[in-house]
Amino acid sequence: MRTIIAIAKKELTVFLTTPWAWIVFTFFSFVASTFFMSSLTDFRRAHADVAQLSGGWSQVEPEFQFLRNLTDGVVMPTFSAMLMVMMFLVPVLSARLFADERRQKTFELLMTSPVSTTQIVLGKYLGGLLLVSLTVALMLIYPGVLTVFGSSFSAVTSEKTTTLEWPTVLLGFLGLLVWGAAILAIGTFISSLTESVIVAIIVTFCVSLLLLIVRILAPSAGEPLRSILEYASFEAQLRNFMRGVFDLRPLVFFSSLIAAFLVATHRSVESRRWV
Amino acid sequence: MAMIEVERLTKKYRDRTAIDGLSFTIREGAIVGFLGPNGAGKSTTMKILTGFMPATEGKARVAGFDVFEQPLEAKRQIGYLPETPPLYPELTVRGFLKFVAELKAVPRAQVAKEIERCAAATGVTSELDRLNGTLSKGYRQRVGISQALIGNPKLLILDEPTEGLDPRQRNEVLQLIKGLSGKHTVVLSTHILAEVKAICEQVLIIHRGKIVADNTMAAITGGKENGLEEKFIQLTAN
Repeated sequence: MRTIIAIAKKELTVFLTTPWAWIVFTFFSFVASTFFMSSLTDFRRAHADVAQLSGGWSQVEPEFQFLRNLTDGVVMPTFSAMLMVMMFLVPVLSARLFADERRQKTFELLMTSPVSTTQIVLGKYLGGLLLVSLTVALMLIYPGVLTVFGSSFSAVTSEKTTTLEWPTVLLGFLGLLVWGAAILAIGTFISSLTESVIVAIIVTFCVSLLLLIVRILAPSAGEPLRSILEYASFEAQLRNFMRGVFDLRPLVFFSSLIAAFLVATHRSVESRRWV
Repeated sequence: MAMIEVERLTKKYRDRTAIDGLSFTIREGAIVGFLGPNGAGKSTTMKILTGFMPATEGKARVAGFDVFEQPLEAKRQIGYLPETPPLYPELTVRGFLKFVAELKAVPRAQVAKEIERCAAATGVTSELDRLNGTLSKGYRQRVGISQALIGNPKLLILDEPTEGLDPRQRNEVLQLIKGLSGKHTVVLSTHILAEVKAICEQVLIIHRGKIVADNTMAAITGGKENGLEEKFIQLTAN
């Protein structure tokens, strides 16, 4: 266990002393803030419009009812939008994990130390996971801001909806985390296949794009393909989480996915010895 | 007692045989020079002994542990300096040595002392807080050796420890290695004969994947000043 933590700590130190992590943090919070501001604008406008209606929110169609409170109207749409962004940022974090060791010839140190391949893979994954968690934790800024300043919305709405439902927010957060952990596992595997960080990033992007295509194709496919694609689509898996409903199925789905890719990474690292 | 026992060790890459049926024994406490022209199979042999890659055929034991059957036990006996010192440029020397100490499971309470000891032995104490990435070639090499010393392993395997150093640094590194005799068994590879003459007791010459000489320094040189050079050129002629 100590070895795993040592490797994870080393990964974290390397990430934080090179620009990698900071570029990801900056870009992530920039995009998130943009989504957050636009959600806020929508929310404000919706409430201003509803204030004109004689019946208030009872006259609003069901599909727009989510705009009624800050949690479902602002925080959760922002979180959902970030799912897609993570497909393109997490690969940047995962790509270095193994590829960089090969490039800098430090891999020989790891492989000739009295450390098992399992410990190496788990240590590196844990290091990556801590960083992904740090990145996703930046998302907690927005609900935080709303908790402090949300009451100012009582000016535009008569609704008593300006306090956040933190359980819902935290479920959304968990959804983001699980999703990040899954892309990280895929990226870690791809990183173990190459010596080039750039190749690892590009290939992981392409795999992310495939996931995206699955999601886009699912509604237009015929049965039974449709059900299969729907099941494999990350957005469908995470839908409940993003609504604030706890669901065990996606947790099982993503943990199996992570386990499968970590086992594949282990095999790939081992097989490198035999070339 | 034999520190290294190698029997009919063979490594084949797809269509090339890197080493071909090597057999040799190295006794505990010896300083052994592993010689050969570039591409003779020195690094390959070292990579197999350290458990970085498996052999195609044959057996290798380090301190009695089979490197294929009991890899972790065998690795615990070895400090290894690969051809390229495996330094993470983003870590400080101290951070790097600490990481290595953790990998080698040095007891927590002794880590700081062990770092001081290995840094002092290789003369990098003053550089402990510099980033690996900013070190000169000479210091990189020393930190590489320092890293191999961590955990006080019985056997040191050094792949071209003086490569790329200037004459003064080269001399310092050789003196450093010489100072390790008695405490460790040392196997070092090089293609610079003068270095071997200066510090080694036993010499193994490898050519095209085969051992062509395995003897004490005195027996190989035959007491002649240029004995080692002559023997080397003669044995690696074709």
